[in-house]
Amino acid sequence: MDINVRKRSQVQVVQLRGALRMGPAVDSLRQTLEEAMGNGDTRIVMNLSEVPMIDSSGIGLLVRFLALIKQRGGNIKLAQPSKFAVQTLRLVGVLNLFEIFDNDDSAVESFA
Amino acid sequence: MPNEISGGSENSELSELLDRSMPANSEAIAAVVDSISETLAKLDVPEQKRLEIALAVQEALANAVVHGCGNDPSKHVRCRVKSAPNGRIVIIVTDPGPGFKADGLSDPKKSENLYSDHGRGVYLIRQLMDEVHFERRGNEISMWKY
Repeated sequence: MDINVRKRSQVQVVQLRGALRMGPAVDSLRQTLEEAMGNGDTRIVMNLSEVPMIDSSGIGLLVRFLALIKQRGGNIKLAQPSKFAVQTLRLVGVLNLFEIFDNDDSAVESFA
Repeated sequence: MPNEISGGSENSELSELLDRSMPANSEAIAAVVDSISETLAKLDVPEQKRLEIALAVQEALANAVVHGCGNDPSKHVRCRVKSAPNGRIVIIVTDPGPGFKADGLSDPKKSENLYSDHGRGVYLIRQLMDEVHFERRGNEISMWKY
């Protein structure tokens, strides 16, 4: 999985490319989120437009960090999740835990 | 090699599409899942169906690696894919572990479990596939897609 992080208006925009699943993909994203939290960055937009699949490990990582970051007054918001990612998050009942946006811009602006 | 597997397409002949053995290492899962997706694509299985099968297999292999083999790469997980003449597909994942009782799993959609970082794998498999059986002593799962 490719992970690209850029900062926009005090928001970390994390662009993921590839399946978010157990193994190197989940490990890399966990490291990225730990580094962000370590730097005090708790406003995160996760762009999932190029993530065709999220497995239970990926879902577990997202909801775990969502809880941690919300405890610190921040949030993880999702931008452009793929159709199957949305279906999967809905299947396990966690879709409504996230704010979802059509693009990065609107997700970033929602933190203002 | 034709074979018989209970459920889904009872007593009908099955054609083997793929038979893989992989070390019990989480990094080995993706290659098996991707090869199954490629095999199904060549059979013109629709994308939505391929994604659902791929995710179910991903979860079954992850369970086999973590729970069946304790992440011990000296152990191996077997994954077989077969098709029935009526187009139904079955994926069988076998690990050498002691097995488990799938009936005792908690509901991941309960409010107290929503933020949990685990406990969704078998639930997802059951939601994504049309028929799921735990065989032998619970260390083999057969997942049917119609």
